Amino acid sequence: MSEVKCDVKTNDSGPDWIYSEIVKEHFLNPRNFLMGDERLFESDATGIVGNPICGDQMKMYIKVQDDIITDIRWKTYGCASAIASTSALSEIVKGKNLDDALKVGPTEITEYLGGLPKHKFHCSVLGHEALAAAIENYRKIA
Amino acid sequence: MRSVYLDHAATSPLLPEVKAKMLEVMDLELGNASALHRPGHSAKRIIDDAREQVARLINASPEEIIFTSGGSESNNTVINIFRDHKITISAIEHPSILEPARKFAKELVLLEVDKYGFIQVDDIPHDTDLVSVMFANNELGTIEPVADIVKHVHSKVAPLKSEQNNVHFGKNQNTPVWVSRRQELRKLSEATRHRTYVHTDATQAIGKVKLDVRQLDVDYLTFSAHKIGGPTGIGVLYVKKDSPYRPLIYGGHQENQRRAGTMNTIAIAGLGAATKWAWDNWSCRQYEKVAILRDKLRERILAEVPYSSVNSPVEKCLPNLLNMSFQAAEGESIQLYLDVEGVIVGTGSACAAGDIKPSHVLMAARHDAEVAHSSIRFSLGLNTTEADIERVMTVLPAIVKRLQGISTVQVADVVNAEHSNE
Repeated sequence: MSEVKCDVKTNDSGPDWIYSEIVKEHFLNPRNFLMGDERLFESDATGIVGNPICGDQMKMYIKVQDDIITDIRWKTYGCASAIASTSALSEIVKGKNLDDALKVGPTEITEYLGGLPKHKFHCSVLGHEALAAAIENYRKIA
Repeated sequence: MRSVYLDHAATSPLLPEVKAKMLEVMDLELGNASALHRPGHSAKRIIDDAREQVARLINASPEEIIFTSGGSESNNTVINIFRDHKITISAIEHPSILEPARKFAKELVLLEVDKYGFIQVDDIPHDTDLVSVMFANNELGTIEPVADIVKHVHSKVAPLKSEQNNVHFGKNQNTPVWVSRRQELRKLSEATRHRTYVHTDATQAIGKVKLDVRQLDVDYLTFSAHKIGGPTGIGVLYVKKDSPYRPLIYGGHQENQRRAGTMNTIAIAGLGAATKWAWDNWSCRQYEKVAILRDKLRERILAEVPYSSVNSPVEKCLPNLLNMSFQAAEGESIQLYLDVEGVIVGTGSACAAGDIKPSHVLMAARHDAEVAHSSIRFSLGLNTTEADIERVMTVLPAIVKRLQGISTVQVADVVNAEHSNE
């Protein structure tokens, strides 16, 4: 996995915006977020990583049927790239089987977003880890 | 629609009068201010004029003013004078004090602050050589008791160091002589044997509250042009006559051999114009009106934005500054959502700017990383209006509620976040 490869603000990053247009779009219009009480979404398993004390925390909620992620929600405390990373990941893995979903690593998330600044790469790592934790928890109970 | 710019503490827009002055100077036939010919002399006159304007604003003598590349250079210069000596600073100083002090002090004392960022004067150790405490903090707005610090070190610290008369670094600051490093160290150690010196970084305070170096009786004072409508890249170091001095940059006779490098005539003219504007327009008095707007903003946020709290002090605070935290909502996200709505604010963490550590200032004051990560700094300017405050309050509550709604951090009744301010 090449961190350097992702250490770009792509040509897509607007003249007046620090992140790429795709990050901006996912930040301003996040997909699959879970607003308010988390009990409102009946998930089969959840995974949480990070810590508000470190500036970022992400929680993934998955619904699984026949080894396929049929639905997904997330909650995030963090910066724009943290919100965009979880939003993008939720789009990428919806409909994938669990093994394929686990293969979606930080590099894939970052590339999907059109690049992240180097010091924000950890946001995509946290997103991947939150989903991996949710899948692991699912497999423990399933 | 014009943006509502509430990040004046980061940098302030160039004043039209400053721009006009700089353009005027650009069009003149100017030489190197050190040259003897007429174009050189013209440049020197512009610089001399600016030096007088700057000196007048802080009640200094023109020869006590050194032009630098900005606040960071001024701060580094002061710490460098006291290299290998005992230095005491507050825990919430700007990095341009903190980092050189950590690197160069023989012994460094960090003064702790209370939850609003105030130091305790009595915490200053008796044997320190330099005390450097900012006049007002850049993130919280906290106005530190600098006059009390000076009284404290003169009345208590100095007599304990020695009862002998002060021995100064040079006999006459106006005619410094080149000395070897060994001589420099010897003279400095003589100077500090009997006396503690005080520096204050007044970069945030200049033009907003009254600064009188004679009244304060500080030895060194820093500020920069771009916080008062001047250009970036030009700053000031006030050095009281006969206080110890050592250049940071060698290789030229400029600034009375105190700072080498060709004089930045255009930027200095801009700085002079900015200080003249502040003087002519009684800017400190104008900021009293800004404080009223700031207070209004604070009270409205507390009333209308759920789980908001104030980090800045209410009393003894810069008139234009307000630092607040929003539980469960991260500062950078709030900042960027506000940006999209045309409201420009600062974050304590400067997260987007490349630093992902929580603000050392908020950590020192609050000891709570979540409060630090969730903080926003509003810094108003003289052009801020009632309508601007109204605009902030039109967009801020919904942004914070939305972030709290999708946050992993649970606020007490997150389910009803929509109504929780009621």
